[in-house]
Amino acid sequence: MAVVCHWRLFTESPAIDLCLRQILERRLPTGVFSEHLHGLYRPDSTAWAILALASKEGYSVYTESARACLAANQLQDGRIAFPDANSVFWPTAIAVFAWQGAGSFDQAQNRALKFLLETTGKHWPYDPKAPIAHDPSIKGWPWVGETHSFVDPTAMTLLALDIAGQSKHPRFREGIGMLLNRQLPHGGWNYGNTLVYGRELRPFADTTGIALAALAGHVAKEQINASLRYLQAQAEKCRTPLSLAWALFGLGAWGEFPNAGRVWICETLDKQKKYGSYGTSLLSILALAYVLNGDIRKGIA
Amino acid sequence: MNRMHGYTRRRFLTTITAAPLAVASGAFFSACTSQKLRAETFIAKASHYTDNLTRLILAGIQELRVSSEEIRGKRILLKANIVEPHRGAEHIVTNPAVVFAAAEAFLKLGAERVFVAEGAGHCRDTYQILEESGFDALFDNPKITFVDLNYDDWLVIPNSGGRTNLKSFIFPATLKKADWIVSMPKLKTHHWAGATLSMKNLFGSLPGSFYGWPKNVLHNVGITESIIDLNSTLHPQFAIVDGIIGMEGDGPIMGTAKNAGVLVMGRNLPAVDATCARLMGINPHKIPYLDLADNRLGPINDAFIIQRGERWQSVRTNFQLVDYIEAHRGLRL
Repeated sequence: MAVVCHWRLFTESPAIDLCLRQILERRLPTGVFSEHLHGLYRPDSTAWAILALASKEGYSVYTESARACLAANQLQDGRIAFPDANSVFWPTAIAVFAWQGAGSFDQAQNRALKFLLETTGKHWPYDPKAPIAHDPSIKGWPWVGETHSFVDPTAMTLLALDIAGQSKHPRFREGIGMLLNRQLPHGGWNYGNTLVYGRELRPFADTTGIALAALAGHVAKEQINASLRYLQAQAEKCRTPLSLAWALFGLGAWGEFPNAGRVWICETLDKQKKYGSYGTSLLSILALAYVLNGDIRKGIA
Repeated sequence: MNRMHGYTRRRFLTTITAAPLAVASGAFFSACTSQKLRAETFIAKASHYTDNLTRLILAGIQELRVSSEEIRGKRILLKANIVEPHRGAEHIVTNPAVVFAAAEAFLKLGAERVFVAEGAGHCRDTYQILEESGFDALFDNPKITFVDLNYDDWLVIPNSGGRTNLKSFIFPATLKKADWIVSMPKLKTHHWAGATLSMKNLFGSLPGSFYGWPKNVLHNVGITESIIDLNSTLHPQFAIVDGIIGMEGDGPIMGTAKNAGVLVMGRNLPAVDATCARLMGINPHKIPYLDLADNRLGPINDAFIIQRGERWQSVRTNFQLVDYIEAHRGLRL
């Protein structure tokens, strides 16, 4: 049964309810979340947990305290980084999602957005004779400070900028260009290389999904058709959390969420009987993909 | 005799966190400079993954004088290479059969527990890599635990190597729980490093959550230097190289399968890698990280490596090197 409440669509599903309870078990006494039971605080796990828990009524006390903890852990320049590692700031984009529409965290979100707009990876001029074929001068975002820009952090940042109303910013446009430049000639994306020494590398479902989700609404379908076909084929067969969730988000962003998408999510959750509990971020992304029917912008914006 | 013999993992991590870094590094370096290091390696012929690999690994462990007392009650971490598996391309990653056989061997010797671990460097979906590679079968064995090093809790350890500007490494917390770390790479050429063997395999011991996918932090500070620093800091106890089917040409992902038909083992990773290089038809002195490791972390000179089992000359099979790949030029033995 689907019930619409304000802008949030949530669906009563025992599997998703269990998922949310599992996420809640990873809540630490300070209000943040770890990736595994009794683990250390992680900003990415916390931000994803906020998003998943916010998708259902009754969890606001947890989401609000977690949002506040993220803001308290925010560094002076607006980044959200891992403890012990200030240069590891890729969770900043996910924190932007987590604060979106939360009112009292607008200031924290604006600082994070400012940081993202002022930050890029390590880049250098394109050399057609270089072993790597992509254009390393086109700026995106890196995983870690002082390193090259790659697909996942760039796509995540573009999604964050988009939902926060920054899609006209020159950095956003350049980031779109960066993703297109890293698209494999036969379709799909991997972590961010295309050809090395003339050989085309292979795509991955999760990175293709996140790239397509970020590009939706900003490029013509003809520019990504091969990638969409690749992702459709992958979504049919992959039943692992990260790949399936992002495949569904990628397809959903282009209006192609598969009819059986939610069934596949439940099948994937069921594999915890074999693998043990998934991590907090994986549970959260799966729950979100289910609740939002693959449309990440609808649920967060 | 390998100078690293008997220096357990727990003792190492306790030492490095309790003592001033200068003392630890100084003591290590004087051991190296006082005389030439020597080490033993073991090569076993193995034609197929269906061979009795446990028996071969146990034979190697025995030849290398690893006693059951060293293993009994210990927690063994097998660091496999599962960087970017693709179904049907078994030459990319360490074959699960070799890892399962190693696990069985250590359990037979009385190990309390075996972890199989990887922090895959390209693909973030750990469950996908487990299923593509066949490592998901591990979950059927209650005595073996798989650990995803990319998303583990962590600890900060000062860099003992000093070849990069990295002041410290952020390691997965599971490494501190292990008494032995065993590097289990695939025998492959590499388009940046020349070859990827037991020492470079340790890149996967660092979490992608902190180093990225790929681990660009290490590429930035220098692959050769990072290999040295990582090995200087982590000090694995053992290596078992899957060379039954390796990779030649444009490794580490897009090369072609090469039947080498061997397992190579040893306590000293530079010696193991040098032996692997020779049987691949590669001069280890021309591989930058091995040249830098020579007589610092272990011997790579053939005169100082005692060969047990097969001799590398009898199992040598030249791995294809590619002219237009800069790291391959001048490598041929």
